[in-house]
Amino acid sequence: MFGVLDAQMEPGNYAITPDLSGNHGNNNANNKKPRSSHSKKARDSRADDEDYDDEDEDDSRSSRRRGAGGGSGTTDNGEPENPRLMGMEIPLLDPASDTVTYNGGKFDVGNNAVVRARFEKYLQQNPDDSAEAKRYRQRMDDLMKLTQNNARQHSEVGSQTLLQIGRGLYEINTYPGDAGQAATLASSIASALAVQYANRDREKKNEQLTHEIEKLVHDTDILTTRNTHGPSHKQVGTGRSARVVKNESKSHTFRIAEQTTEIATKKGTKVKNDADSVAALELSKINYQATLVSFLFQRRFEHALIGSFAYRHIFRDGDNKLNIKKDSQAAKVFENGAGLPPTINSIASLAANARREVDQNMEAVTNLLAQNKLAEATQHLIEAVAIGEYMPSVATFPTESRRRIAEFWTLRKRTLTALNARDYGTLEEIADKMKKLDADFDDSLVRTYCDGRKLQSDMCLRNARKAFMSGDEEAATDYAEQAALIWPRNPHLKEMQEEVLKLDNNESIITEFKSLLARHQYRTIYNERSKFKVVAIDPELEKQLEDCATLIGTIDAMLAQIDVAAKQDKKMGPCMAYEMLLDFQDKDSRYMEDTAFKDAVVRFKVDARDFVAALDEAKVQEERREYGSALANYYRAQCLCLPSNRAKEGIDRVSQLILAAKFPQ
Amino acid sequence: MARRKSNKGNKGSVNGTAVCIGAVAAVVLGILAFSGGGAKRAAVDNARNFSIADYRTDASRYTNNRYSIEGRVENIETLGNDRLIAVSVTGNSQERLPLLVRSGVAQGVNLTRGDTFLFEVECCTGHDNDQKEIKGVLVVRRVETK
Repeated sequence: MFGVLDAQMEPGNYAITPDLSGNHGNNNANNKKPRSSHSKKARDSRADDEDYDDEDEDDSRSSRRRGAGGGSGTTDNGEPENPRLMGMEIPLLDPASDTVTYNGGKFDVGNNAVVRARFEKYLQQNPDDSAEAKRYRQRMDDLMKLTQNNARQHSEVGSQTLLQIGRGLYEINTYPGDAGQAATLASSIASALAVQYANRDREKKNEQLTHEIEKLVHDTDILTTRNTHGPSHKQVGTGRSARVVKNESKSHTFRIAEQTTEIATKKGTKVKNDADSVAALELSKINYQATLVSFLFQRRFEHALIGSFAYRHIFRDGDNKLNIKKDSQAAKVFENGAGLPPTINSIASLAANARREVDQNMEAVTNLLAQNKLAEATQHLIEAVAIGEYMPSVATFPTESRRRIAEFWTLRKRTLTALNARDYGTLEEIADKMKKLDADFDDSLVRTYCDGRKLQSDMCLRNARKAFMSGDEEAATDYAEQAALIWPRNPHLKEMQEEVLKLDNNESIITEFKSLLARHQYRTIYNERSKFKVVAIDPELEKQLEDCATLIGTIDAMLAQIDVAAKQDKKMGPCMAYEMLLDFQDKDSRYMEDTAFKDAVVRFKVDARDFVAALDEAKVQEERREYGSALANYYRAQCLCLPSNRAKEGIDRVSQLILAAKFPQ
Repeated sequence: MARRKSNKGNKGSVNGTAVCIGAVAAVVLGILAFSGGGAKRAAVDNARNFSIADYRTDASRYTNNRYSIEGRVENIETLGNDRLIAVSVTGNSQERLPLLVRSGVAQGVNLTRGDTFLFEVECCTGHDNDQKEIKGVLVVRRVETK
């Protein structure tokens, strides 16, 4: 209801127009003919009630439809149901209504903007418990008691009492929190009373006119009788001077005519007075009712109650029906809200219920705050402020309690902002904070929603990465866009973006890597391996980079060991080192591509030149089948470096050949 | 470097008679040369005329030449009754000279590692089972204990 009320408070959203149709335009519908007037109004009322019933039924159907909205997979306006992820419905935010639709239900995430703005303003205000405010409320209570007591006693409120109410209202008008509403009510009462006084004067005039008419009628009747029953002529004088003249009945005739005219004129005046009274009364009612409805919409429930109680004593014809245009926004308030026919009593009922509801809400807020249940307390306070911002229980709500609610409310607002921005990380952080403030805060919906969306985004990103690796840039872009749409601040999104950007920027590095690899410049790659890390995007290149690192690492470690070993035996050390280098070279031809390895080979070749020369010569001679020379060289090499495997192997090999050969005897 | 001329025949215009006489004379000379008293012949050079360094670079140059070498046995490789020994020539311990000792050549001389012997060797070219040349091998013809 109060959502509607808030909407009504927007300028131009409601209209109260006088119903000047035949029912109320009937001149006979005045105090003198209450029965006929009432019976007709009762019929109208019944007809209206039937209309309301029909509309209520339509509303209830509509309400059922709304209640079931989303549960069947489609919304009222035929929108498709929410998307699903892994069998679970993904909640969707409706920014227009600040609600989240989930599993067929709508969950409030902050209420509408008007309520929100008013609530935030309220939270930042100080409690209005000044002496002036207390005096105002005391006076307002007195006025309400005055009207209520008179209503209970069934005694008519006299003009003096009404004037007392009016004066009281003018007195409290100076309080700023009243915003001049008391004066407005007082003015309306005064205006209505003025109309009543004017009507009373007209009634008195009409009574006087009635008397005058009756007298004129009486006089005219006498004159008419004289004319009918008297001689038409009479003799005047005697003798010769006597003459017959027409009787005075001739003058009666004129008099009768004149009096008849006067009677008609007075009757016309009387009718006009009656019509003026009725019109003034109706207009006065409409103005007064408009003021009362306005109070209700402005949530000035005390004013509305005082005005409602005073109404029946100002307008004593028993007509309490509100002259609200059918189908107007104001009429809907009374239809949907209380389910009552629109009467002055409806206003009183709504106002009284609203006051009670506000007080109950505030009581609940206080109790919930004592239990640290901020979420529920906030919800109740929103309702209380929305309904009765000017109620004493709301206006005097303590500052400390407002601060606690404001803190929770700010987080709740940020939840909405984060949800709109699809910043699920922040959303979870806020949920954590809210949970810390209120242990009973139900964050399951937020967490489920966040987890689902994050997973969805990550899956898209994974697909994007796979597509990118396979070279399908178009698909990769599509997946990345989807991931960004679902969760714009996904940290993995940034990682991938950096990867892609780096890859784009390092295209030349990859080319350089391939070139160095083709030229077997393994040590250059190794020395700049941090730069070439970008090639890891390609698994094959990554493996080659790792191979380079392993190769050069092995060579460096080996050279270090060989250097140490060579220094330990200056005679055979270089020979052994050289032979080891040759052994490594035989195992992996890439060793000779390395400059450090080649340098070491050259260095040890110089240091062990005799040994190297013997081995080389042995090899040459062996190829020439000069086995005697070859064997002598191998022995020479063995003499220079006894542990030499190459020398030993050569000796064994050539010795076997010679021993197996046939020589001339 | 001392080197003997190799015995290569003159292929001039020789008539058949001369060839026959020459052949007979060669056979006679051969018999004389390998008779029991031939070991002390002047055809055997001593080790001073033999350079191991030269031998390592081109052994075929010494083919058919004979040398008397004194050396200590440093290593022995055996195949059947044949032995291939490595000797260090006196005065040059940084070299090893491979010598092939055929079965029966030693004739009672016990070739043991570390002992010094006097070897009469001839540089020969042999053949393996595939009839491929095995060049420049010093074959021991006679061994004497030093």
